[in-house]
Amino acid sequence: MPAPLRVVIVGGGTAGWMCAAALVGAVRPGVCEVRLVESDEIGIVGVGEATLPQIKEFNEYIGVIEADFMRKTNATFKLGIEFVDWGFKGSSYIHPFGVHGKPMGGVPFYQYWTKARQGGRTDDIEDFCLPIVASRLNRFDFPTTDEGGINSTFAYAYHFDANLYAGFLREFSEARGLRRTEGKVIDVTLRAQDGHIAAITLNSGEVIEGDLFIDCSGFRSLLMGKALEVGYEDWTPWLPCDRALAVPCERTGPLTPYTRSTAREAGWQWRIPLQHRTGNGYVYSSRFISDDEAAATLLANLDGAALDDPRPLRFQAGRREKSWHRNCVAVGLASGFLEPLESTSIYLIQVAITNLLKLMPARTIDPALVEEFNRLVDVEYERVRDFLILHYHANTRDDAPLWTYCREMDVPESLRRRMSLFQHRGHIHKYGQGLFAPPSWLSVFVGQGLRPAHYDPLVDNLPYERIVAEMDALRDSVALAARSMSDHAAFVDDYCASPAAVRLREGVAS
Amino acid sequence: MSRPIRSVAVVGRDVSAWLTALALQRAFGRQGVSVTVVELPSALRAVDAVIALPALEGLHRLLGLDESEVLAACSGVYALGQQFANWSRSRPPFVHAYDSQGAALRQIPFLHYWLKARAEGLNVALEDFSLGAAAAKHGRFIVHNDATDSFSKARNGYHLDAQSYVRLLRHKAMAAGAQRVAGTLDRVARTPVGVASVTLNGGTSVAADLFVDASGPDAVLAGRALEVPFESWSSWFPCDRILAASGPRLKPLPAMSRISAFGAGWMGMFPLQDRTPVVAAYDSRRISDEEMARTASVLAGMALGDAVVSPFAAGCRAAPWTGNCVAIGEAAACLEPLDAAPLHMIHLGISHLITLFPVDADNLLEAHPYNEAVLSHARNLRDFQIAHYRLNERLDESFWDGARAAEPPPGLAYKLDLFAARGAVALYEDETFQEENWISILIGHGLIPRGHDPQADAMPREEQIQSFQRMLGFIAAEVREMPSIEAQLELFAPPPSSASF
Repeated sequence: MPAPLRVVIVGGGTAGWMCAAALVGAVRPGVCEVRLVESDEIGIVGVGEATLPQIKEFNEYIGVIEADFMRKTNATFKLGIEFVDWGFKGSSYIHPFGVHGKPMGGVPFYQYWTKARQGGRTDDIEDFCLPIVASRLNRFDFPTTDEGGINSTFAYAYHFDANLYAGFLREFSEARGLRRTEGKVIDVTLRAQDGHIAAITLNSGEVIEGDLFIDCSGFRSLLMGKALEVGYEDWTPWLPCDRALAVPCERTGPLTPYTRSTAREAGWQWRIPLQHRTGNGYVYSSRFISDDEAAATLLANLDGAALDDPRPLRFQAGRREKSWHRNCVAVGLASGFLEPLESTSIYLIQVAITNLLKLMPARTIDPALVEEFNRLVDVEYERVRDFLILHYHANTRDDAPLWTYCREMDVPESLRRRMSLFQHRGHIHKYGQGLFAPPSWLSVFVGQGLRPAHYDPLVDNLPYERIVAEMDALRDSVALAARSMSDHAAFVDDYCASPAAVRLREGVAS
Repeated sequence: MSRPIRSVAVVGRDVSAWLTALALQRAFGRQGVSVTVVELPSALRAVDAVIALPALEGLHRLLGLDESEVLAACSGVYALGQQFANWSRSRPPFVHAYDSQGAALRQIPFLHYWLKARAEGLNVALEDFSLGAAAAKHGRFIVHNDATDSFSKARNGYHLDAQSYVRLLRHKAMAAGAQRVAGTLDRVARTPVGVASVTLNGGTSVAADLFVDASGPDAVLAGRALEVPFESWSSWFPCDRILAASGPRLKPLPAMSRISAFGAGWMGMFPLQDRTPVVAAYDSRRISDEEMARTASVLAGMALGDAVVSPFAAGCRAAPWTGNCVAIGEAAACLEPLDAAPLHMIHLGISHLITLFPVDADNLLEAHPYNEAVLSHARNLRDFQIAHYRLNERLDESFWDGARAAEPPPGLAYKLDLFAARGAVALYEDETFQEENWISILIGHGLIPRGHDPQADAMPREEQIQSFQRMLGFIAAEVREMPSIEAQLELFAPPPSSASF
């Protein structure tokens, strides 16, 4: 067997520890030798994190036990995201991890719904989607795997404390032999002949050599940005938010099995329910609001007492021109930033890890692998970008200049065409691979107020009475299934109550 | 106000016209859309065959075509893949089976273990780990069970007699309610953006909201009337003629097509129940039609009758859907009769037209996504075909030297480079052929990656040898139990006692 690949991970946030856990959890011993360098002095950005269902595959792939992980990260379940006031003031819709009805005659359900609406019915599309109805009732249960059954029509993700998740993965990785080094990187040495990274130097004076460096240093992008000087593609014209304030507050009221995103005058506010507290933040554009006003808005819109001062973050929407350059792979914020509107940050970390495992290099890195990695990551970033822009662009709000700007801005051609085809006939092209699938686009299109002018002509092959009868039956079975689920708080309590949540329940201040 | 499509005229001939008409009639006939086939004289000859990928089975199901009825009516034979012979001077033939190769071990694709073992001296071909390839080589039909389904993705395509297939499709389409007028085309009346009507010699005129150009390479509407430019692909496809002929039935019946390269092109044999259609694609500057007919006989090892020759030029229409006219099949993109591509192009056009059947005759926004998808599929299919040419190893033959030297399209060049580096397949959107198909032909043609996934190195040698032996043993045992193609056809698709169409 060839000598192991020496992998050096720089930075220990969510990205760093996910990389580490994957490399020690899923890769056979002897293939690579992994070290992680992080500094306890450098805070991590993770602020209460909402995820996508793919995280479950990641956890299973590396061998994490779900209840254990949830208990240790104050995690709750997530069936989707509620968007409040996005398309227009007073609106609320949920982007669910599931489908709206089942196809009939090979045609998506919503096409029949469109015809019924044109026929005068007033049905809400959300009534046909189990994870949405369950969310509105604060219910949760595990999906089943029986094909065709109503309880198999959804997936779930988690809300968790990203600091604790990083800590959990650290414990997981160290138990499997990962070598962690405390320290700050003070110098990066490049090889003269090809500009590859030869070694990093820590503040302790230690020099760490490696074959492959993974830059998980966050916004600072120590290796990819600073040392290798890979440029940054700016997406601010489409995604104007450039700052955020994050603050936790007391947990009050029912435990929602969904994230909430509320559009505000100059951006949007997140609400992420954890077991012991609720994470909040205001993502805003500094062009449209001052930091003080933003802080005031955030603090005035918490559903419990603030547990800290708001913590500021600055960022620039966009991405590094390359995610893998020479012998350095950037993962997480070091590779780009897309606001957490659709909980894609951890997903994009996962995409990088999955593709790295698939294209695992030998000590001498074949440039073809680098190119393919970048191609695959490009596709994902651009799709997520389009999907995010849709939320801003498709609005009819006239109460604040940010929303007028976003409505009137030029959007990428790929998005413009998707929108016009949906508005024309409800057509949503399904990507061969990657995010997001048609049900996601549907929920946002409809939720933001777009309606198809026509439905798919194949719909006319079913008699109208039959369509209406199917809809009634489906709505009833969704409602029944949702009501049969457990209360989300009770489910979490029973399945994976964290020590902090137990203390909270027992009335002890944490 | 929008104007729904009430009438469609399918102008053309043969499989593309009648498969489209049947599909449109079944999809939209019930709601009052009238489908009229303006049938131009057939270009098919008695010798012609239709070569189908496994995907056709799904289309047939949607169209209510029963597999056993189709096979019986069209003298049809299952095809588990295509064998490529003589594409290299030194390499034995290989089978591109419609199947995967081996099983992933510890979540690392099988190919990497095979590459590693090969570098260590293993002398077993990749295709020997493919159930579909093994069955094809033994003339067997795969009866699926849980074990085969968890190990392999094997599926089968078909060889069908072309004229019988068209008769069957015509009968089914008309029984479903499609109308037919037949004749030769006199003129096409245009609107500013499309077609208003077509008129046949003799005066019959057909107007419609939507026209389908299913006239084959002539593209009488899209090409001649609307003058949509043709993008030539001839720099990658040196053959400019296709010869079709037919020989006696092969015994026992092979379970695959056989594609053999020769000095000036390639020749395919596509066994049917009662005869063996033969097709040769060649460069007429290097071999005359007469010589080709003689050569085909020699290559096929049988007497061939009724050889007919037609011109060929690979390429596509810049916008297959222009105005109110949708080109399907060869009117949209012409591909060599290799890899079952021509029928699949028809299938793709039909699927996309049904998905994007216009909702408003005055606002045909569907044209753009149709063109994008159909052309992107066509280019990926084209690249799969070019890979055969590019990777040939018939050294010192100018036809093949030229094919090897032709710079491939960028998407294919990228694919070949990545595969050569590491055995990874770059899959794009709109691929007909999946990872296992690409692996099969790339390895088959001798593109052996210089590296493999280092994670495969973590498996101890003994364990790997045992896994390989288990797979080979499984395949051998399964193949022994499989019925022969003949036995399966006899059971499942006995020829009708008399022609019913």
